Amino acid sequence: MMALRELSSLGKCLGVKKPNKYSTQGDKKVPVLHNNNGPALVGLVTIATHLALVQQWLEYRLTKVAGCHKDDIKTILKDLNSYLEDKVNLAGNQFTLADTLMYYGIHHIIVDLAVQEKEKHMNVTRWFDHVQHHLPPVVVLRNRVYTRGHH
Amino acid sequence: QGRESMALHLTINSSNPPLGVLLAAEHVKGSVNLSVDEGKDNKLHVSESVQFSDVNSITRYLARVTPTLSLYGSNMLEQTEVDHWLEFSTRQVCGQSGLATALGELDKALALRTFLVGHSLTLSDLCVWAALKGNNEWQSIQKQAGAFSHVARWFSFLGSQVPFTAVGNKYANSKAPPRKCDEK
Repeated sequence: MMALRELSSLGKCLGVKKPNKYSTQGDKKVPVLHNNNGPALVGLVTIATHLALVQQWLEYRLTKVAGCHKDDIKTILKDLNSYLEDKVNLAGNQFTLADTLMYYGIHHIIVDLAVQEKEKHMNVTRWFDHVQHHLPPVVVLRNRVYTRGHH
Repeated sequence: QGRESMALHLTINSSNPPLGVLLAAEHVKGSVNLSVDEGKDNKLHVSESVQFSDVNSITRYLARVTPTLSLYGSNMLEQTEVDHWLEFSTRQVCGQSGLATALGELDKALALRTFLVGHSLTLSDLCVWAALKGNNEWQSIQKQAGAFSHVARWFSFLGSQVPFTAVGNKYANSKAPPRKCDEK
């Protein structure tokens, strides 16, 4: 159980709000992190790297992307584009909170891109399109249900 | 509701397991009553009078009998695209002409896509992935850094997903002498 304690303190140290679901595997009690979508991660270092990676992108989103200057946009796109060359999601093969928040963070940038620029940063464009098709749509009713009160 | 109760029997050639068929079977097993046996030939037994022995026919049938999984795409255009990639997997990836031409085309198609057709997994991903997996030339090309980067990303992304790892662990290694391609 040592590994699980280490991981939960690492989570705390990185500021992970929601506690992760862990279990152990085999005689050596290798920790396993269960993802809601995608395969489970096995092993202390693998899980620790994964947590740190997600946190790194959340940090990047807040410090670099939020309220970025016009001159910074080029750098952000260039960095993201080369990073996403060999990845489907920001944290590798798993869809995480980092993808969702980064998507909302750079939405206004991508909306303004010309077709040529979208092709120039095609790894970002591909990732962005993948995320926008995987976020759950928000349901809005066409007719009012609560016609009285509740206001 | 007859669909749920209908039992399908799949027999696979255990000396050269058809990876694409096994991947499709793994995907549909929660939606349809399907049993898998090892034998000498690939055969999907639907009823006494209906049986399929061609790999692509089997995967097509499995996809069509489980429409909620959208393995055949979600509209007519996507269905046609899926058909294109099924043919591509048997002719270009397993064909006689060099793999480089096929990989070039695949790389171009995957530049702006996570999955080959639409925005989720389809038969095309299963069959092209399986054809590449069983191809020795691809195994060596894969080791070169930066070669066909879009194909490499797509290939390793799919390979890390649950049904792919399950089938890979069970069958890919048991394939005795590596062959260039699945027999038809």
